[in-house]
Amino acid sequence: MVELVPTLLRQELARLADDDLRLDGRGRWDGRDVDLQIDCLYNAEGSAKVVMGKTIVYAGVKFEIRTPWPDRPSQGSLMCGAELRPVAHRKYEPGPPSPQSIELGRVVDRGIRESGCIDMESLCIVPGEKVWGVMIDIHVLSDGGNVFDACGLAAIAALRTAVVPAERFDVGEDYTLKVNGTPIMASFTRVGGRYVFDPSEEEELGGDERIHITLGDEGHLHSLQKGLRGVFTPAEFAEIFEVAHQRCSELRKLVATQEGN
Amino acid sequence: MGGYGDVKLLRDDGLRLDGRKLDEMRPVTIEAGILPAADGSAMVTHGLNVAVAAVYGPMEAHPRKIQRQDRAVIDVRYNMAPFSTSDRIRPGFNRRSREISKVTAEALESVVLVERYPRSKIRVEIEILAAEAGTRCAGITAASVALADAGIPMRDLLVGVASGKVEDIVVLDLDKAEDNYGQADLPVGILPNTGEIAFLQMDGDLSPDEYNLAMEYNFKAAAEIHEIMVDALKRRYEGGEN
Repeated sequence: MVELVPTLLRQELARLADDDLRLDGRGRWDGRDVDLQIDCLYNAEGSAKVVMGKTIVYAGVKFEIRTPWPDRPSQGSLMCGAELRPVAHRKYEPGPPSPQSIELGRVVDRGIRESGCIDMESLCIVPGEKVWGVMIDIHVLSDGGNVFDACGLAAIAALRTAVVPAERFDVGEDYTLKVNGTPIMASFTRVGGRYVFDPSEEEELGGDERIHITLGDEGHLHSLQKGLRGVFTPAEFAEIFEVAHQRCSELRKLVATQEGN
Repeated sequence: MGGYGDVKLLRDDGLRLDGRKLDEMRPVTIEAGILPAADGSAMVTHGLNVAVAAVYGPMEAHPRKIQRQDRAVIDVRYNMAPFSTSDRIRPGFNRRSREISKVTAEALESVVLVERYPRSKIRVEIEILAAEAGTRCAGITAASVALADAGIPMRDLLVGVASGKVEDIVVLDLDKAEDNYGQADLPVGILPNTGEIAFLQMDGDLSPDEYNLAMEYNFKAAAEIHEIMVDALKRRYEGGEN
């Protein structure tokens, strides 16, 4: 379904931007409140639910035993996929995965994979024969804007709670998956001519291009993505990069707090 | 049914493995209006099952060939999340989910006053987040609460329940072990106010008497779940929130 982009909404967003305001009253770099629950799904080996405003996302981790790639006989694998299900919004239609959900899954996947938080060697059971395949599936139940950050957060939080079901597969005792780090994504959308953090549904509808930044514990970049039509300047990037650092470390603390409980 | 007599499903004291009586249902909780983007929504937990339903519409029916001149069509998608089961499910539609979607749509079309909305479509999305036997019934219950939450007129609330048979004894509401190793499963969709049945499937082996008893259990459970559904909708609209 094609969403009509209302001219009036664009005008209103531009007018607000002139006074450095946002539709929902937030400051330019303010995120919505984030509610994170971990270990919330029966049957998933690790799970998390993220609620950010009207956005609701679940992530679940499953394991399978597979034969390793011939060129990497002692390495397991990690795969992360996201589904923008038709349940999440009237604009999503059934059918094979849309380019949008493929982009979403792959951006989240890269952030986690490239941060090196999972040591692929640690997923080896019998070299050349058996390794663990770790699958993170993200289910978007409600798209109220900025599903990227919600998915990124749900995915890493779920992964960090995962227990390897070795007993069920008859290869030893269950153990907690070792995850070294908490890569976090921060997303920005150009609204009314300037970037804002954590865009709402209306801001995405009446906004332009978006930038996703995933940062590791040390503040290193692990994935970048620009989506949709538009251009930005290095100065603009420098500005949002600073904000991304702050927001990512706040969200990383939130994950740690939930794990502490 | 997958089952054969070698797995014990009833205890020596006559109770079931999880301690339930023969005609006792797993605990059910229902919450309406949980998805902000949808026109109507609900979450049902039935035992360890978690089913979420969203309703969009009535909206223009596309493509045009699915339009009906005299009524709305209901487009149901029943989908299990990849992490909802013990072994991961490959994302996407399979034959099982297609069939369940089809018969669920037909059941809901028998309950919704579809004549009120000619040429339109009502989209019902059922997502199973956790599965432990009985997901299609939890999905039906969630769908009808979501339809009511969306303000779509219905003749009654459709309630999904199942009974079955384990160790030659009829029991209400099979759990996972009973479903895997039991002898029969009879999931139905009941209209508690009219006493009619809009959804019916069955597999396994039941004698006529066993069928009657299983159905009796189903009607009893449907009345209980119906109360929980009504309560969820009242909480949604009486509380003054949202």
